Amino acid sequence: MNAIGRWIDERIDITGVRRSLLDRKMPGGLTWWHTLGSATLTVFVVQVVTGIVLGMYYSPSPDHAYDSIRYLERTVVSGATLRGIHHWGASAMVVLVAAHMIRVFSMGAYKYPREINWLLGVVLLFIVLGFSFTGYLLPWDQKAYWATQVGTNIAGTTPIIGPAMVKMLRGGTQLGAATLARFFALHVLLLPMLLVIIVLLHLTLVIRQGIAPRTKVLEAAAPSRTTDPAYPGYYRSQYSRSKGSGVPFWPNIIYKDVAVGVVVVAILVVLARTVGAGLEPPADPSDTSYVPRPEWYFLPFFQLLKLVPGTWESAIAVGLPTAMVVALLLLPFFDRRSVRSLVHRPAAAISMSVVLAGSGLLIGAAVREEPKTAIAAQIGRPLTSAERAGKAIFRRQQCGSCHAVAGEKPVEKKEDTPDAPELTEVGLKHSGAWMHSYIEDPARFHADSKMPAFGPPTLTHQEIEEVTRYLMTLRGTTGAKPEFRDTFPEPVKPRDKP
Amino acid sequence: MDAPAPAAPVSGIAPKLPRRGFMQVISGAGAAVLATLVGVPVIGAFISPALEKKKPENWIKVADDTALLDIGVPIRVDLVQTQDDAWVESRALISVWLYTEDGDVFKAYNGKCTHLGCGYTLAADKKTFACPCHRGQFDIKTGAVLAGPPPRPLDELKVQVKDAVVYVQYRDFRLGIPERIEA
Repeated sequence: MNAIGRWIDERIDITGVRRSLLDRKMPGGLTWWHTLGSATLTVFVVQVVTGIVLGMYYSPSPDHAYDSIRYLERTVVSGATLRGIHHWGASAMVVLVAAHMIRVFSMGAYKYPREINWLLGVVLLFIVLGFSFTGYLLPWDQKAYWATQVGTNIAGTTPIIGPAMVKMLRGGTQLGAATLARFFALHVLLLPMLLVIIVLLHLTLVIRQGIAPRTKVLEAAAPSRTTDPAYPGYYRSQYSRSKGSGVPFWPNIIYKDVAVGVVVVAILVVLARTVGAGLEPPADPSDTSYVPRPEWYFLPFFQLLKLVPGTWESAIAVGLPTAMVVALLLLPFFDRRSVRSLVHRPAAAISMSVVLAGSGLLIGAAVREEPKTAIAAQIGRPLTSAERAGKAIFRRQQCGSCHAVAGEKPVEKKEDTPDAPELTEVGLKHSGAWMHSYIEDPARFHADSKMPAFGPPTLTHQEIEEVTRYLMTLRGTTGAKPEFRDTFPEPVKPRDKP
Repeated sequence: MDAPAPAAPVSGIAPKLPRRGFMQVISGAGAAVLATLVGVPVIGAFISPALEKKKPENWIKVADDTALLDIGVPIRVDLVQTQDDAWVESRALISVWLYTEDGDVFKAYNGKCTHLGCGYTLAADKKTFACPCHRGQFDIKTGAVLAGPPPRPLDELKVQVKDAVVYVQYRDFRLGIPERIEA
């Protein structure tokens, strides 16, 4: 073994690589906050590994996407865990990237000489957001479909190029097969490639420049601006002095990175096994009652759009993200004072707090406004085709203009039918047989009922049965068991045909 | 974080060694834990198809009432079977020949000729099955090959009679070979 090792080493100098990667000296006094970058990298590796196997059980077409996910969840060994890890890993990526960025920002680590690495980091942030936007659509459930509908429409409000952008994002005018294939290709081909390349550059720079030392080291007797010709010399001498008092990367620093990685991944596995990734009913483009929700880290933005008046919406929807990108990209060129500690940068401290607190408040507001559970969730399963057909007839016949159903889009109410009962929990109160007879001819039950008879020829018996099946799914949100209180009228004599 | 300054000026190595070793063990063990946490579900899902259990028994109803079946004359039962191909569901038309000599004991044959899988029919004499593709002939009572190229007798299927209803366990077998191997 040793001989082989030596043979290889003589040729490609593994020892040299080891020395520059593992034995390199790190500046003293690194905190646990310095592990955030490596934790992000760990989760990224987890995403790649889980993503590869998820890809083996996925079909990027609207016909099969949902079924393939359901197959993965139900049939594949540890398939649900695998998907859960990938799902929560996506959130973890966003959280860790943001935390890493906050660490770098508050320690002034984007300043000389690390401006380029900050820029690469900003690009990585947006690649990660791109991953989550494209990955969100792939399960092709209601949430996926409607969130993407809204997301692509936001891009459409861009002045001048908006309409072209929507078509480009969707691969056509409508959200459909082409969109799914496009998002899939971006998610598994383009974005991973870009991310890997930029992460490698990012890491190369970290190794070449060394990790940013404690802020104090670079503040004592520093020239006041990094543009001062004396600054590079000052920086070099301070940095090498701080390295002199430091420790080797392996194992004195890396053990912290590994420890944090274990904790983060353990949390992902626990979330995957307890909460899971969730799967809503299949995407239903005709379901206008569905309230789209973006993934939680887009919520601040989502909530902000609700608060701005209509005419300003496009300015906020497109302008705000653009302004954020520009601000982040310009930051290292705009701020050239040499002070690094947040204590000496009140403006930076205040703006960071405002952004963080504002996002927190907006997320809170969005969560409070969470709509009531959608109809399908009330029975804990997607509607069958008969139930969906019934729901469509319910809408077509304008049943909602007299009868309210919670979770359904409210329809303009007619004023002369205040007695029409709300149907939110009708599935708990009456049997299907009773509902069928009632819909067919309400006058048989209540002589003075204002509800028209929907029996043939208005609706066929099969259609009435479909409406009945749909109504039976309406069981409120309390999880109560049905308890029927049907009262049937006396048997009716066959009526004379006219 | 730094270790206390060593007492001896010779080198800081001696007192630092155990700490360094400890950190190496922590890092190695941590990496192993990480690999296990992610590796188990990943490898589990990857090898999942190889862990698949045996196909569940699949009894298909082929006749509602034994009393209505002709004695000594086989009948063909065509069925639509739903097949699961992972997440894609497809429907296949299958057929089974059902034969009884006494109304108690039933024989069922897979409707595919064992030669190349054509659907065979009852010959005009009602004593043999004839395959139109390559003129294979089989005995209706035993399924034995009487003539032609078929390499083995017809594939008999398991039959179960419960309350006068006849069920068959449908299976397909590899074609064109003398051995009977499930496909």
